[in-house]
Amino acid sequence: MAENTLALISFVLTLMVFSYLLGDLPLIRHLYRSAVYIFIGTSAAFTLIVGYESLLLPFWQDVQNPATSWTVLGAQADRLIFYSALLFAALLLLKPVTRLGWLTNSILAVVVVMGAAVAVVGALRGTLLPLLIATARLPTLDADLGTLLESLLVLLGTLTALFSFHYQVNASDGGRYGLGKGFRTIGKALIVTALGAIYASTILSSLTILTERIAFLFQYGA
Amino acid sequence: MNRRPRVGSSLATVSGFLVGITAVLSLLLGDNLALFGVGEGADALAQSFALPGDVLLRLLVIVLALSIVFGIANLLILHTRRVAGGRPMSGVLLASFAGTIGWHITQRGDLALLETIQLPIESALAALLCVTLVAGGARILTRRSDSWGFLFVLVVVVVLLGSLPLPELAPIAAVSDWLLRIPVQAGARAILLGIALGSIVVGVRALLGQDRSLRG
Repeated sequence: MAENTLALISFVLTLMVFSYLLGDLPLIRHLYRSAVYIFIGTSAAFTLIVGYESLLLPFWQDVQNPATSWTVLGAQADRLIFYSALLFAALLLLKPVTRLGWLTNSILAVVVVMGAAVAVVGALRGTLLPLLIATARLPTLDADLGTLLESLLVLLGTLTALFSFHYQVNASDGGRYGLGKGFRTIGKALIVTALGAIYASTILSSLTILTERIAFLFQYGA
Repeated sequence: MNRRPRVGSSLATVSGFLVGITAVLSLLLGDNLALFGVGEGADALAQSFALPGDVLLRLLVIVLALSIVFGIANLLILHTRRVAGGRPMSGVLLASFAGTIGWHITQRGDLALLETIQLPIESALAALLCVTLVAGGARILTRRSDSWGFLFVLVVVVVLLGSLPLPELAPIAAVSDWLLRIPVQAGARAILLGIALGSIVVGVRALLGQDRSLRG
């Protein structure tokens, strides 16, 4: 297909998405919806293509080839794993059959629990421990005062922000939990500040993409 | 009321618990060679700890890949029914799906369709996000005019102005730098720690069979 035709399709699709800004007008709204439906259709197709070509097909080829093995157990075990997975997936399809609910629920439980196990280990090793170590690590005493102060502020800030996650019913005799309330207020301010900065970063990122799209529209229109 | 224990529910809980505990222990201990000392025996022990995790992960990946295929099949069936029910917009989805698959089969390896359709729509949608985010930020001040709403918008404005490369805005850029280095870092770390703790709690609930959806 000619390069100009492809650029024209991109141009029209970009305009169709931007038609959302014109509001809920009778004909215009169909343009935006059509673009979204096209997007869902192509995304589903690409997901299917990637899932088949990058996951299922290589697995199937590995199972067919006795020279390759996923684990130390050998090719026979690979075949067993692959066919068990096929059986599990097939049994998941029986979910609407209420009489077999016990079986599909057990398979679903195994799948969900495996996902949960990966999430727990990932959260523990990938986020919790590295962040705790990074937060608690203070520079050596021979570092300059500014660096030391900044590290202390980040440590105290993280602790107060974590403290603000702790929910507590407000005391009716105001001031009884003054210190805790003060910590929570500081913590909440830090959380709001962080969320504001994340919001601003998202605006900046989308602004960059917006300028690129507008430049494309002008470039093609010229 | 005398309730009979349900065999199916117990089976789901027990199988989930056994698989979950095996996977967690295997994933946590399998990679950690230092736990098993040094030498060939230690390597073999570490490998045998890692094995159940490897097998279960491989099983999970294949089941999930097939689940994606089933999900896409479900999407197509749903939209075929919608077309039959007189909703032509679903036909656009089916046509784009069929067109993409057809293109991939006939033009193997050609990414033109991805660059012509997928990328422009994705980036135009991401660009629209800018407009909706700015509108949302402005709405915060009208709908939630308290000190937290004001602080949120103030931080957004300071960070946005601080990113501009104008010498007149150097003091704001310095404030923005300080904000990002200390308060934002502290807040973001607390949010990440909160998410990690929440994930662990939800994961452990699922491992122990406390999740209602797993009990059948």
